[in-house]
Amino acid sequence: MALLEIQDLIYHYPGGAKPALNNINLQIREGEFLLVAGGSGSGKSSLARLLAGLIPEFYGGRLQGKLLFQGNELRGEQRHTLNTHVGIVFQDPEKQLVMTSVEAEIAFGLENMGLPREEMFRRVSEVMTFLNLAHLKKEFTAQLSGGEKQKVALAAVIAMHPRVLVLDEPTSQLDPVAAGEFLDLAEYLNKEMGYTVVLIEQRLERCFHLADRLLVMEQGEIKCDGSPGETARWEVEHQLPFIPPVAKFFASLNSSLIPLTVRDGRRELQKYLSPAPFIENSRESQTIPENGRASLLEVKNVWYTYPGGREVIRGQSLSVKEGEFVVILGANAAGKSTLLKLLAGILKPDRGSVHICGQDTRQLSLNELGRYVGYLSQNPNDYLFQDSVEDELLFTLNNFHLPDNGISESVLKKLKLWELRQANPRDLSSGERQRVALGSVLVAGPRLLLLDEPTRGIDYRLKAELGFLLQKTAASGGTVVMVTHDVEFAAEYSRRVVMIFDGMVACDGPRKKLGESIFYAPQMARLFQGSGRDVLTVDEGLEQIGGVL
Amino acid sequence: MLEQLSYKEKDAFLQHLHTAAVLTYLGVLLLLPLIIAHPLYLMGILFAGILAIYVSGAVEESMPFLVMGIWLALAVMVVNPLLVQNGSTVLLYGPDLPLVGRLRITLEAICYGAAMGMRLLCIIIAFALYNAVVHPDKMTGLFSRFAWKSSLVVSLATRMIPATARDLSSAKEVQQMRGVDFSSGSFRERLKKYSWLLEVLLLSSLEGSTATAEAMQARGFGSGRRSCYNRELARPRDYLCCAGSVLALVLAIYARVKGYADFTFYPELGALAGGSGLVWLGVIMLCLLFPLILGWGCRHWPYLRSRI
Repeated sequence: MALLEIQDLIYHYPGGAKPALNNINLQIREGEFLLVAGGSGSGKSSLARLLAGLIPEFYGGRLQGKLLFQGNELRGEQRHTLNTHVGIVFQDPEKQLVMTSVEAEIAFGLENMGLPREEMFRRVSEVMTFLNLAHLKKEFTAQLSGGEKQKVALAAVIAMHPRVLVLDEPTSQLDPVAAGEFLDLAEYLNKEMGYTVVLIEQRLERCFHLADRLLVMEQGEIKCDGSPGETARWEVEHQLPFIPPVAKFFASLNSSLIPLTVRDGRRELQKYLSPAPFIENSRESQTIPENGRASLLEVKNVWYTYPGGREVIRGQSLSVKEGEFVVILGANAAGKSTLLKLLAGILKPDRGSVHICGQDTRQLSLNELGRYVGYLSQNPNDYLFQDSVEDELLFTLNNFHLPDNGISESVLKKLKLWELRQANPRDLSSGERQRVALGSVLVAGPRLLLLDEPTRGIDYRLKAELGFLLQKTAASGGTVVMVTHDVEFAAEYSRRVVMIFDGMVACDGPRKKLGESIFYAPQMARLFQGSGRDVLTVDEGLEQIGGVL
Repeated sequence: MLEQLSYKEKDAFLQHLHTAAVLTYLGVLLLLPLIIAHPLYLMGILFAGILAIYVSGAVEESMPFLVMGIWLALAVMVVNPLLVQNGSTVLLYGPDLPLVGRLRITLEAICYGAAMGMRLLCIIIAFALYNAVVHPDKMTGLFSRFAWKSSLVVSLATRMIPATARDLSSAKEVQQMRGVDFSSGSFRERLKKYSWLLEVLLLSSLEGSTATAEAMQARGFGSGRRSCYNRELARPRDYLCCAGSVLALVLAIYARVKGYADFTFYPELGALAGGSGLVWLGVIMLCLLFPLILGWGCRHWPYLRSRI
């Protein structure tokens, strides 16, 4: 018997004309690791909420069909009982924590269950020891790192002893190291502790191999349900992007075996490789003419120390020409976002100088700099407060006393927001909100576009759209500098990468430098490592293999 | 400043006391300046409060409170003689003022203003100390048994302060990059610009509150009878500190009732130091400093620490 079973389920959010979940039939077996993939608005989070008993209890709406736990209807169960069946960790580490200290946060759910104090103490102690949180027990939750917050949220759920763990994009706000640690924990809980895990994820390259089964959702329906290998083949056939590069590569080659890890992929790759002549990477061979391109951004020996005394940027120099698309990579706290704020003029260097279009940022106020520089922060919600999407763009134009002259219409169309121009930005999905924020920056026609982690929490399809848009911006003479942890994105779309370590530039060069990196090499580069071929993306890999087949 | 909470773990004696004990101590520090107006007593209480901040390693965190308190105290000291005409020792006659009449600065009014300023400073210091030594969760834990909803609201609000401060700073940077100049324009225009920031914060907070409510429901909040996870242990030092604090309060009330801690400001200043008044002050100070002395003892004598 399945541990959890959904039968003929249809769900509408209150006032929703289209079902958020449509005709769902699903069985989840005890101890299974189920991965759920799909685009924004595909119904993944609704499925998570349903499994956690939050739909329809918290959201309301109309629900038909059945949700069974070990054959018994889960709907209408007491919340106390439900908590021992299913626990959920949400996407946003900040918003799901309630108490001020770690220990109290872990105990919060147990207090709600009405457990005796001795029992609570035992569970809290065990969970803190297991997840190595004991040293943080008195820390303020608000001052923990994103990874630590997610770990605390997981601890709070585990303490309630649920049999099923639903993890709703738990790593989308985390850096790769913290995300890796979290997924290692999820794997351990599944493999060694026997928890049934339902993981909803956008960044599949780190968790594809963990899954026993992969579901692909589109428009509230389960479109594909099978092993990761089968699903990868199905996705390639249907041209869906929700698979990691290595699996996509082999599925595109119609390989009999779809490797889930780089290690297995290398073995499989041997079948396709022969000592044929190396084919020059077509993308690397497209050189950009250097002549006539002026330097737009000049960073000279910049140092920056925060008021608290932490020295974050140490003697950095960087020169960016018009039309370049530069990606800045680096570990957490390496100084990436600080550097971006220095480039934007939000922070002023303690020593050294930043010149944009020949002007020293120290001599200009932020709103003067705004005419040259567009800055997209990590949180698109910081931009959105007008009543309509169109008003957001006009707000920027008005502030700079610029005439519209059809520019807002052109930007809205370029960002595929024209149909949504009258919608309230706060009613839009996260991907759409990000495009509105980007539009509110682009409408002023900045010569330099700075983006801080724009791919965080967005799906493969939206990433591709963003990537093409930024490439187009660079091709039309704009300059793009972007901070990200997303090496796959950097490999796919950028032309130049800058790696920062401890406030200093560790590497600055063309994107192929990524292939030489140990930590920042994309999956395809790791797959082809040692083969003598310069491969960073699936297309480049297929080009190489196509050449030898 | 708001991006960090005031409480920081400093391994201070007062931080490790049972919340009830430390609240008793802080309560006494707060009540004493309200009960007594004698300048020497107020100085003693002020000294005890500042010493408590110093030994708790909270000077840096309390500095904004201290600076604000000193300015307020100075303001009271200056304003009182301008508004109060009582007192017989006139130091200065000024011009006729509407409503007040002829300005008459007296020594008594200045001294009274100084005492009231000191009283205000004592109260502010008690709150600064509270921020520095009481962990917010311990506070909510103490009250959660009988007022858990209110305790939870306090906890949620405490968490929101640093997050909101971060959001505000980020939203302001973003709007500046979109051409909003917060320093230009008339007062009304600037107010309008800041109201945009408030709108951003309000909308984001509302969205965030839904997410928090959902997470709370997912963890069973409001689903039935709750229990309370408060595993604070009471040690002998907690009882000793409570006893010292309560004794200081009782003695102060007794001294006030019996007139040992009285001081006359008007029409003429009374004697600052009488024999028995000083003895009472010494005993009250000893009681008030007792928790700090215990803390010093525990730090230097492991034996004492192990026994209490």
